[in-house]
Amino acid sequence: MDDTGDAALIARCLGGQQDAYEAIVTRYQRGLFNVAFRMLGNYEDARDATQNAFVKAYEHLDSFDPEQRFFSWLFRILKNECLNVLRARRPSQPVSLDMPSARGADPVEVRERQHAIQLALMSLSTEYREVVVLRHYTDLSYDEIAAALGIPTTKVKSRLYTARQQLGELLMDWRVAR
Amino acid sequence: MTNMNDPWPDDEVTRRLNDLPEVDPPSTMVQDVMATIARRGAARATHSVTPTKRGEIMAKKVLWIVAAAAALALVAMRVVGYPPVEKGTEATIGAAQRYQSPQISSADVKTGDAQLQAFLQSDVFRQLTTDKAARQALKNKDFQRALQDNAVRVALASSDVRYAIAAAKVSGDATLVQNDLLRVVEANAALRAAFDASPALRAALVSPDVVAAMSSASLGAVLAQPDIAMLVSQDAAINAVLSAPDAALDAAAAKD
Repeated sequence: MDDTGDAALIARCLGGQQDAYEAIVTRYQRGLFNVAFRMLGNYEDARDATQNAFVKAYEHLDSFDPEQRFFSWLFRILKNECLNVLRARRPSQPVSLDMPSARGADPVEVRERQHAIQLALMSLSTEYREVVVLRHYTDLSYDEIAAALGIPTTKVKSRLYTARQQLGELLMDWRVAR
Repeated sequence: MTNMNDPWPDDEVTRRLNDLPEVDPPSTMVQDVMATIARRGAARATHSVTPTKRGEIMAKKVLWIVAAAAALALVAMRVVGYPPVEKGTEATIGAAQRYQSPQISSADVKTGDAQLQAFLQSDVFRQLTTDKAARQALKNKDFQRALQDNAVRVALASSDVRYAIAAAKVSGDATLVQNDLLRVVEANAALRAAFDASPALRAALVSPDVVAAMSSASLGAVLAQPDIAMLVSQDAAINAVLSAPDAALDAAAAKD
């Protein structure tokens, strides 16, 4: 995600030009939505969380610290939205995992595999899932992930290591079961 | 969209994670967000300032009327002598005069001279005197009081907790800071206990100076050792840190 020009757009928003925010939403909607989708595993929930995050970010834009990367700041807001969605889900309530339509050789097999991977992601605790999602589905560095999550970089690395081990085991179970 | 700096680019887990494709966001995302922003802006605009002000004025009037009525009633009761007090009932009205031991205050905790001397000659003390953020935090009375609470010291001994608190400031806005902090507090049992039990800690964490100082290396060195944190919460140690000449700060700044 290229954040060149964010500062100018934000300055225009703060100056009252609402249309500048449209450019920001356009720029970040894909990245933010994909993070939300991988965190929540559900298309509708991800849409609501992303929209709420964008609206709240706009309402608090004056508190954005330009020293930070804008996507990291947006992610912090999105994470709160995702946590709200996860809290609102009853533990016994099964989450309907949405899979985008598969392209390629055997659509059924591809979909089945993607479903297993998303299920494995959803089996991780939120703390582990967020580091995996940020590391694999965004271009944030370890330091930026640490800043976005409010934890030390060493913690990011150790969480990522454990999360990937857990994912490996979960995916191995799935492969054996097939 | 896989991160190119990943140290395990070729392993099975990475390949599997790459199998999950990017998903297109809803095509109406931008319009929906902008419409919501516009709607909220319009809703705010319709709540014009005048009715709110009028409401405030009305509330104040009611408050004054009730206060005046209460004062009049008290004066009238005093003059009329109502309710009458029968002889022999006086002793049953007053509350029992039980002994109540006072709370332990910072003044009750005496720091040994030797302990203080050792602190004044330590690296931690030298670092504190040259750390502007730490000094600002130590000036905060709520923070000083909070540090006298054992539960607070135990909670702040964790570098994860301090780091999380320090990170909460980045959103800047009071509402967001509060939300962030509450999430940090929720996520840590020791901090939650300290937060619930210590009004001083709650008050201290509202201060941007205190929150900012959580990531300070010198304050971190103090908080990591609860007995040193206790020492630093005492007036003698605080005065020593704060009275260190500004030249020390200037020298540290020049060094940087």
